[in-house]
Amino acid sequence: MRRIVDNDHLTMAVRVVVGGVFVSASVYKIIDPGSFARSIWYYHVVPGSLINLLALVLPWVELAAGLGLMFGVLYRGAVVWVNFMTVAFIAAVTSAVARGLNIECGCFKAADDATGSAWQSLILDGALLLLILQLWFSRSRRWMCARK
Amino acid sequence: MALRQTIYILVIASALGLGLNLVSPNRVDFVGNWRDLHDGDGPILPPDVEPGDAPFIAVDVAQLDFNARAALFVDARDPEEFECGTIRGAINIPFEYLPEGDLGPYFDSVLSHLSKDERIIIFCSGEECDVSLHLARNLQALGYTDLAIFFGGSREWERFHLPIERRRQCDE
Repeated sequence: MRRIVDNDHLTMAVRVVVGGVFVSASVYKIIDPGSFARSIWYYHVVPGSLINLLALVLPWVELAAGLGLMFGVLYRGAVVWVNFMTVAFIAAVTSAVARGLNIECGCFKAADDATGSAWQSLILDGALLLLILQLWFSRSRRWMCARK
Repeated sequence: MALRQTIYILVIASALGLGLNLVSPNRVDFVGNWRDLHDGDGPILPPDVEPGDAPFIAVDVAQLDFNARAALFVDARDPEEFECGTIRGAINIPFEYLPEGDLGPYFDSVLSHLSKDERIIIFCSGEECDVSLHLARNLQALGYTDLAIFFGGSREWERFHLPIERRRQCDE
């Protein structure tokens, strides 16, 4: 099991997939922070006065963490961030579903255009979390721009 | 090591996100004007509320019903204003253009697809108009039981960038 988790090729593939997901998820949010702020508001879990700040900073954290994973720069920090953001998102969607809010995911598109259901989001994020856990436990450090 | 890198990423992201917002064409205010679901603001109320009036609801409550498709939204303004922009999916019952006399048959025909205990949310433009209140009183008198008035109206709905349906372009 340890050898599989530490496999260089597997770790690199997971880095590209997870990093790519976070980079692509960040793009529309960076271009249109107003729409992303509305998506956050729909969840009703963040105080109203903090929503715009979160909408401005979070997409750049996604982008930086995604690129960090793919290129192996600030790698441990990037793994911590993608883990934290995925767990936080799963918690937010679960809380919204539990409160009966009919939210659209808003992960990759502006909320008005989003079609994915909360359940689809949870399944996708559960799969993403499994991949991130592989990165969390893998000791592979090959193909990184910065080794530390 | 991991903690330090985590903080580096946050600092870099904050500098880029907040800094580029100053020059972005899609700039947003740093502190947004988003209403909290339970912030105690409550709904906007008209000055002439009477005991027994239908409950007034805030924009977030209206939005929850909208998302859950749990209510029929009724725009009480005149048809021109309705066509210029209304809550998506709303129907128009222009209170000031209603026929004279007994309104029962009129409402029953317009709302024939609803039973009288289904949820109806009535609104107009905003605080300056009270036709939503008067329409709700008329519907109440005719036996409609699950009414709510969204007094923030189409303006508050639009202020929160919620879905609007425009049947034609109009000057502001």
